Amino acid sequence: MEPDAQLVQGCLRGEGPAWEELVRRHTRRVFNLCYRFTGNSTEAEDLSQEVFLRIYRTLASYRPAFGAFPTWLTSVTRNLLVDHYRRTRRDRLTDSIEDAMPKLENKQSAARTPDKLALLSELSAQLQQGLSRLSPELREAVILRDLQGLDYSEIQTVLEVPEGTVKSRINRGRIELARILEEMGLRPQN
Amino acid sequence: MTDWNCARSEERLSDYLEGILSLAEAAEFSTHAGSCDACGKLVKQVRGLVHQMSALDALETPPQLIPKIIESTLGPRRKQSGGWQRWFARVPQFWQPQFAMGAITVAATILIVLYTTGISPAKLKKADLSPANVFRTANRQVHLTYARSAKFVNDLRVVYEIQTRLQPDAEPSPAITPAPAPQPNSQPPSVNPQEKSQTSPHPSHSQSRNGAMLASLLHRNWAENVGVIVIGDIPRSPR
Repeated sequence: MEPDAQLVQGCLRGEGPAWEELVRRHTRRVFNLCYRFTGNSTEAEDLSQEVFLRIYRTLASYRPAFGAFPTWLTSVTRNLLVDHYRRTRRDRLTDSIEDAMPKLENKQSAARTPDKLALLSELSAQLQQGLSRLSPELREAVILRDLQGLDYSEIQTVLEVPEGTVKSRINRGRIELARILEEMGLRPQN
Repeated sequence: MTDWNCARSEERLSDYLEGILSLAEAAEFSTHAGSCDACGKLVKQVRGLVHQMSALDALETPPQLIPKIIESTLGPRRKQSGGWQRWFARVPQFWQPQFAMGAITVAATILIVLYTTGISPAKLKKADLSPANVFRTANRQVHLTYARSAKFVNDLRVVYEIQTRLQPDAEPSPAITPAPAPQPNSQPPSVNPQEKSQTSPHPSHSQSRNGAMLASLLHRNWAENVGVIVIGDIPRSPR
C-alpha cells in the first residue's frame, strides 16, 4: 500500500486517483470521529464532507514535519467539530429549554431517535448517549484516546494542549462517563 | 505514604490502568482501592468501560459518503466506462480533418485496387488472400482487360474497313487524312471511323464484291478475338 505521504504528493501534482485513494482510506476514521462527537449521522456526514473539502484546499500547507497525515487529518476534523459545536450552541440551548418544558407531544425527538441510533448496537448506543452528556473537552479527549486509539502525544498535537492536560481530560472524561452510564443503568463488564 | 486518599486515586486512575504509575505509587493505589469500596468500584467501572470502548468496532461509512466527498472536491465523476469507450476517448486527437481525409483516401485506393484486380470484397474468401491466388486473379484480370481492349480495337478496325470498302474508290477527302493501316484497294477515309451507324452516302457500285470481302473480314476478326480470349483465359500459358 502506498504511504499517505506519497498520495499527498500525487494529489499536489493534480492526480485525481491519488486523492480518491486518500479519501477512501480515511473517510471511515473522520466519519466515526464526527459521529461520536455529534451523535447525529446526517451532521456527521456533512461535517466529514466539509473536512475533506478543507483538506483538499489546504493540502499544500501540509508538512510531514507536522506529524503523520492521519494526525493532521484528525486535527483538522477536531477544529471543524469545535467550530460546529460553537456555531450550534445557541440551537442546542434553545432545544434544551424546550426539552425542559412540559410537552403534549414529542414528535420531533421521537422522529430523531431512530436515525440517531440506527447505526449502533445497544451498547454502542448507550455509550453514545453517555458521550453526548460529557462536556466537549472531555468528550473529544475520550473519543480520541479510547475510540480512535491515538496515543498521548498525538492527542497533544491535535488538541494543542500540554500532555498533563491531555491526561487529566482523558481521566476525568472516563470517570464521568462511567458514572453517567451507571446512572443510565449500564453496568460495564470487565 | 498514608496521605493517599480517594481524590488522589481518582486523579491517578487512568495512569494506574495504563500502567504508567511508579511501582510505589501503584502499590499505594492498590492498597487504597482494596480498602475503599467507592474507589474499588470506580476502578472496576472505568476499567470495564475502557475495555468495552477499545473493543467496539468502528462504524461503517455510509455508502454515499465517499462518492459525495469525491464529487464535492474533484467535480462530477464520469461513469466507469468500458474498455472500448476508454479507447475511443483517446481517438479524438487523431480524428481531425487531415487524418480523416487520409483515411478515406487510403480506403478508396484499396477499394479501387481490389476492383481492378477483380476481388470483390463481398465475396472475398480466406483462400483468395493467399499470394498465389492473388497473383492468379490479377494475371487473369490483366489478360481479360487486354483481350477486351484488343477486341475493341479490332471492332473499330472492322467498322473502319467496312466503311472504307463501302465508299466509292475515288473520293478524296483532303480535310481528314488519318493514317490507316495499309489496305489493298482502299482509299483514304472521309469519315470518322467511330461513327458505326453512319450509312454510306454513296451507294457502292460493286455490292457483291464488297459483301464477300465483308464476310471474310468478319470471319477473320471473329477468329482473332476468340484466339485472344482463349489465350487470355489461360493465364498460365500466356503467349
